[in-house]
Amino acid sequence: MRKWFARLAVLGAALLVAGQGATAAHAQDPAAGKKIVRVGATQAMDSMNPFLAVRLVSTSIHRWMYGFLTVPDSKTLQPSPDLAESWTTSEDGLTWTFKIRQAKWSDGQPITADDAAWTFNKMMTDEAAKTANGPAVENFESVTASGQDLTIKLKAPQASMLDNPVPIMPKHVWESVTDMANYDAEKYPAVTSGPYIAIEHKKDNYVKLQANPNYWRGKPKIDELQVIFYDNPQAAIAGLKNGDIDLLGRMTPQEFEGIQNNPNIEAWNTQGRRASYLQINHGATTSDDKPIGDGHPALKDVKVRQALHYAIDKQKLVDEVQNGLAKVADGSIVPPMYKDFFWEATGDTKVTYDPAKANKILDDAGYKKGADGIRTMPDGKRKLEWRFTIHTDTPIEDKLAEYMTGFLKEIGVTLTTVKLDSSKFTEETGITGNFDIAISGWSVNPDPEEVFATHLCSRRPDANGEGGGTESFYCNKTFEQLYKDQQKELDRTKRAEIIKKMQEQLYTDAPIIAIYYTNDLEGYRKDRITSITPIPEDKGLLYGGSGYWPFYTVDVKAQAAGGGSAGGGSNTGLIAGIVGGVIVVGAAAFLLTRRRKSTADERE
Amino acid sequence: MTTPLESAEPAVQAAGPADERPTSRGTLQYALSKAGGALFSIAMVLVGTFFVFRLLPGDPVRNLAQGRNMTPDQLDLERRRLGLDKPLIDQFLNFVGDTLRLDLGTSYEYKRPVIDLIGERIGPTLLLTGTGLVIAVSLGIWQGTRAGWRHGSRFDRVSTGVSLLLWSVPTFWLGLLLMMVFGVGIGPIPSLFPFRGIESVDAPDGFGYVLDVASHMVLPCLTLVAVVYAQYLMVMRSSLLEEVSQDYVTVARAKGLRDDEVRRRHAVPNALLPTVTLVFMRIGFVVGGAVTVEYIYTWPGLGQLFYRAIEVPDFTLMQGTFMLITVSVIVMNTLADVVYHLLDPRVRSA
Repeated sequence: MRKWFARLAVLGAALLVAGQGATAAHAQDPAAGKKIVRVGATQAMDSMNPFLAVRLVSTSIHRWMYGFLTVPDSKTLQPSPDLAESWTTSEDGLTWTFKIRQAKWSDGQPITADDAAWTFNKMMTDEAAKTANGPAVENFESVTASGQDLTIKLKAPQASMLDNPVPIMPKHVWESVTDMANYDAEKYPAVTSGPYIAIEHKKDNYVKLQANPNYWRGKPKIDELQVIFYDNPQAAIAGLKNGDIDLLGRMTPQEFEGIQNNPNIEAWNTQGRRASYLQINHGATTSDDKPIGDGHPALKDVKVRQALHYAIDKQKLVDEVQNGLAKVADGSIVPPMYKDFFWEATGDTKVTYDPAKANKILDDAGYKKGADGIRTMPDGKRKLEWRFTIHTDTPIEDKLAEYMTGFLKEIGVTLTTVKLDSSKFTEETGITGNFDIAISGWSVNPDPEEVFATHLCSRRPDANGEGGGTESFYCNKTFEQLYKDQQKELDRTKRAEIIKKMQEQLYTDAPIIAIYYTNDLEGYRKDRITSITPIPEDKGLLYGGSGYWPFYTVDVKAQAAGGGSAGGGSNTGLIAGIVGGVIVVGAAAFLLTRRRKSTADERE
Repeated sequence: MTTPLESAEPAVQAAGPADERPTSRGTLQYALSKAGGALFSIAMVLVGTFFVFRLLPGDPVRNLAQGRNMTPDQLDLERRRLGLDKPLIDQFLNFVGDTLRLDLGTSYEYKRPVIDLIGERIGPTLLLTGTGLVIAVSLGIWQGTRAGWRHGSRFDRVSTGVSLLLWSVPTFWLGLLLMMVFGVGIGPIPSLFPFRGIESVDAPDGFGYVLDVASHMVLPCLTLVAVVYAQYLMVMRSSLLEEVSQDYVTVARAKGLRDDEVRRRHAVPNALLPTVTLVFMRIGFVVGGAVTVEYIYTWPGLGQLFYRAIEVPDFTLMQGTFMLITVSVIVMNTLADVVYHLLDPRVRSA
């Protein structure tokens, strides 16, 4: 019995000492003295293979790892040289020649035009390699290389060529990959041409990136960039508050308010890339022009859609739904941060909140109010009762729906909310057309072509529900022509004019109604990060931006020796040691008393 | 545990001399019939799993595209790759055949064999939920015994009240609360324990690693234990209450045994029986992990895997994890029946 106690006591003491030892070991941990930036993400990486990865977090990480032909300029967001240091276009706009920079891959091999040609040709010949960026090479006729010269021949002119989203991959590493669909690219260190090299990836846990000494702009200021994954946003916010991570992007207004008054956190609130809009079922059709879905007939009438536009108090929505952290949309799908492409309605075109005017439009168009105050179709057969489709489990959209219901009541329309989970939502609002009004939104790239493409006739689903990718079921001749015109227009200013006309068309015809542009809400530890340059440099974005600029320029205090690493490490070791010790001693004491008792019993 | 159980004399006496020892043949027969039932259940689960998951809304191919514009050719290719182009009945027959060969298929999302993914995740899950179970059971039995023995005492009222309160608290809420209080720290409470994952990103090696993992386990374990230990407490308490009024307890007391002795040697062994069954049933669920707790604390276990699979939806991964969870529950239930049979002679005679 005494032996028992003695043994346990020794074990407890050993645990305690070991706990202290671990703390001491922590003091000499290899991270000490290193400059490490830890970025939190609430989405885990889907694939390390850039040909397959589609999640935002993955494409961001790949942008930090790989070079592109061109990247948005850090000040103007206009295309600027990356791996292509210069380029020329033929008279007919069909042949593009890029001069590839004399630079090195992270393994020391030279970067040549052959690497770029291999990347594009792989995508053009291997269906699996199209998974991530297939549409980017759809218009390519042929891609050839000669030394540092890359020649791309197009099927039709394409002004967005300079916003090509395909990372250039090292041919000498990747050409041995035969089964692209199943290649996970988990080989470290990765061979890259951008500012960082991936050195470790623990699935659903973290990615570690090391500064690339061969990067052509020069090595980043920090040694290591870590992306740390959280399953849920609350834990990520707690991680930022606790200093486990240094930066966190993509916050909701509610989450953002939680960090606003924290003395150690810089709350980053700037104009964002995203436009939120209402998608209106104005008579959904398939790509062969057959009607589809069960949209309310009144919404086919452009006057009704315009009346709806007048009935929405966008300022109220910004204040109440987005807690003021958004900008009222007086334009369309391009947010104001893209200064040269942004269009804003003025004068007579501009729709401002005016329920009286909305009511007048509807009265004049013959939608008379019944005894119950609800309007009916001009033929009196059907009441104006619409559905508002939103996502489940999104408190912000719930709130939006409440206000929308109120606004529409003012103009004699009943609105009921339909909540769908995201896959069902996509199906009903993008394929089957079973909705009246739905919430939607799009994050726009520096070249906005893709967001306009989502309103093309060809994006409507076919009779089998295949293809698609429409955001509105829109199919309008004027819009189609403008889209083709901007594709051919290589002069940026002239192209911007056409793009503005397309926005005006969407604004007045109202297949969608933009309600607000949400702000980019992020936060970083100002006690750790000493400098970081947003993109664009003037009040731009950090994690939410396009390109590697913020993470190339970021600088941070070096890791203090001992502790300071994730989760207040030194404390934890000590605490775990003490807890372990206490448990063992407690158990020993318990056993001892028990033994005492039983011996006492035996004596009785 | 065996020594006190053997001394459960009254129960044996009640069963009569003929059944004093379990005949190996009877037990075997009993176990076999239970195993047969379990196999039937597993077969039903196999069928159910396949069809129920296909009733879920959402086209996995489209969801994998994450809203990107894919050409019909690309979608076709993906469907062929995942075998979704074949008739449902063919898909089902393939599924059954593969499952019987323990080939759970390849995950749509991870593009790796499901069995490998489960292999990676089962360790962290067993560590977390296993530890949680042991603590919850010990705590429940200890408090339940004390509460039941001193029925109506202050200890009884407080421990029962607290455990039931925790039992009725939503796991998610409690988890976040614990994260805020002990993870981030509030007021005078400093940040004590990490709340993300099973290890630090720059985890030390050797014994330091063990401590690192242990400290990561504190909050998830605490959450798990807090919400479940009430059931062990309540079962233990009520079964002890039943035993307390039995004649054999009175006899034991009359023999002049100390109160403590009566409880430990006579009442508790008998009262433990329902709790043992409950524990065995819960062991089945241990494998399934605790989806909510793993989600709150980004614990890299099966629950997290299952959660991800539903989001996609990743049919093969959902089937695989769901099969594993249900099969382990069925197996453990069957084992619970057999163990109960061995432990309690009354069941044998019935």
